[in-house]
Amino acid sequence: MRAVGARVEKVDGIGHVTGQTTFVDDWRIPGMLWAKVLRSPHDHAAITKLDVAPALAVPGVRAVITHEDVPKNVLGHLEGLGVPADEPLLAESDVRWKGQPIAVVAADSEEAALAGVAAIGVSFEERPALLDVRLAFEADAPKAHHWGNWFPHFGGPDTPPDHRKIRKGDIDAAFEQADAIVQGVYRPNAIEQMPVEPQVCACVPESNGRLTIHSCTQGVYFTMGIVAGHLGVPLNRLKFIAGTVGGGFGGKVESWTEPVVALLALKTGKPVKLRFTREEEFLCTSTRAPWHIEIADAVTSDGWILGRKMLTLHDAGAYARFSPYGVTKHSFHIAGSYAIPNIHFDGYVVFTNRTPTSAMRGFGVTSVSWTIETQMSRIASVLGLDPYEVRLRNASRIGDTTPNWVTLHDPSSVPVIQAAAEAAGVELTADYRTMTRDPRSGDLLPEWLEGQLGDLDAKES
Amino acid sequence: MKLNVNGVEHALESGALTPLLHVLREELGVTSPKAGCQSGGCGACTVLVDGEPRRSCLTPLGAVDGAEVTTIEGIGDAHDLHPVQEAFHTLHAAQCGFCTPGMIVATVALLKRLPQPGRREIERALSGHICRCTGYVKIVEAVEAAAGGSR
Ligand code: FES
Ligand code: FES
Repeated sequence: MRAVGARVEKVDGIGHVTGQTTFVDDWRIPGMLWAKVLRSPHDHAAITKLDVAPALAVPGVRAVITHEDVPKNVLGHLEGLGVPADEPLLAESDVRWKGQPIAVVAADSEEAALAGVAAIGVSFEERPALLDVRLAFEADAPKAHHWGNWFPHFGGPDTPPDHRKIRKGDIDAAFEQADAIVQGVYRPNAIEQMPVEPQVCACVPESNGRLTIHSCTQGVYFTMGIVAGHLGVPLNRLKFIAGTVGGGFGGKVESWTEPVVALLALKTGKPVKLRFTREEEFLCTSTRAPWHIEIADAVTSDGWILGRKMLTLHDAGAYARFSPYGVTKHSFHIAGSYAIPNIHFDGYVVFTNRTPTSAMRGFGVTSVSWTIETQMSRIASVLGLDPYEVRLRNASRIGDTTPNWVTLHDPSSVPVIQAAAEAAGVELTADYRTMTRDPRSGDLLPEWLEGQLGDLDAKES
Repeated sequence: MKLNVNGVEHALESGALTPLLHVLREELGVTSPKAGCQSGGCGACTVLVDGEPRRSCLTPLGAVDGAEVTTIEGIGDAHDLHPVQEAFHTLHAAQCGFCTPGMIVATVALLKRLPQPGRREIERALSGHICRCTGYVKIVEAVEAAAGGSR
């Protein structure tokens, strides 16, 4: 622990301030081809024609790949966690979001690659698009995904349930006892991670049959697995040069450029580079998901939360990617840092014809944390109480249980809320200023929380 | 077409409409200016043209024929850091480092014009430079420290 609290020199800092750090785009590779992508201009359409021959006739174009060139085109990001595969590397018979990749051209220059993309013969038959999660459950809603409009496999491949569900305590009793019901609808929106370095990847085919891949991935072993999976090759055919990332924030978990340049390098026998434009980065790479969250809280007039009903619709965009994992994480955090005895929660991963969503800084949790803190302030304002005191009264304490019955041994809600009050210059009354996170007793253990305490002595398994 | 880049004369093959960024990176192999957006929005491609900060992605080669171009390579190296580089390094103003060359050349130009800038002037000079990692507080502190150091 020598580094904690000490000023440590940044290992790559001198390279950064002298411009000598080698980012992926900075590798000088002789004879390198540039790749450019043909993308869907429609939110949702059938592909009725795809003819790459005219692109191959463009001067400077060396190769074009479509789904037919990918040994394993459909691969799941979370197959290891039981989430079946749904998304093609390159579109097959249909496109489900504006920007979905269909074909990739490698050419001697960027200009030639763009001319090649423009020459590809492609036609579509447009289909109605689903762009609002709230319409997904209507009988006549457009069909966004071949599994239906929401993810059905929370139990594993072909296995229900079709959503995440939490039931704790007696929700009806909580609503009967309540002095007031405080409702809120919260819609944290999509956010592009926007690293200043766009997605970029270069692949060099080596004479021994291996592929050297310069990648800006955030998860090098994850991406290696994705490349090996799509190509159908063992990991020892791949050599990754990675680790220098010009910002990622979750967006560079996306491992799409790597298998694509690898396939083009194999097909042409030459090094190939693919660098996204800023426009592609904004329109075609995954974002933080938009969420639709509805809450109704049963509260007492002195600020106790007796029960929470909550519905979450997570907009996954066109394919699953990491969304089932995001909603699972989300479901563990629906009470925030508070003890809520009665809970009724349903959370769905909804498919729409939007850009697929994925990782960004605590995804799944950030949306629900923001929502719950906003709801806490709303409860205080509806009841005319102090928002710090409402939080402290309900704050998790040692021995409390979470919505999914995990016993808290070390919750920091109480000291954190007190520190926030102090930082904001808010004077708490003596009761709340001296409150500790010790196990509940007395006034802080009302009858409805009595059956909710966990066993602190039980061994963690 | 000709350019003097970091003190070295170059005769160039690129056409007049080629962006200066592309000329530097692809024809000359000077890779410190970065292609962050290639549309004038991020500042990562900033270089000095006759001492003035310019977005090289939006500057056609023909418009700067014969000019003197300075990139961060012409400002200081690992063995001889410029005070601005030193301040960015020691004060942790460069996290991933992708925006850093652009930030530093713009700062060097600012301090030449205004050796002791106030916070407002620093913010104005760097306002077109996007950094997504560091947050701007440490960057402004590094500029202030570099200005203080050169007093
Ligand atoms: S690359 Fe020139 S401003 Fe972004
Ligand atoms: S340090 Fe990463 S963008 Fe500025």
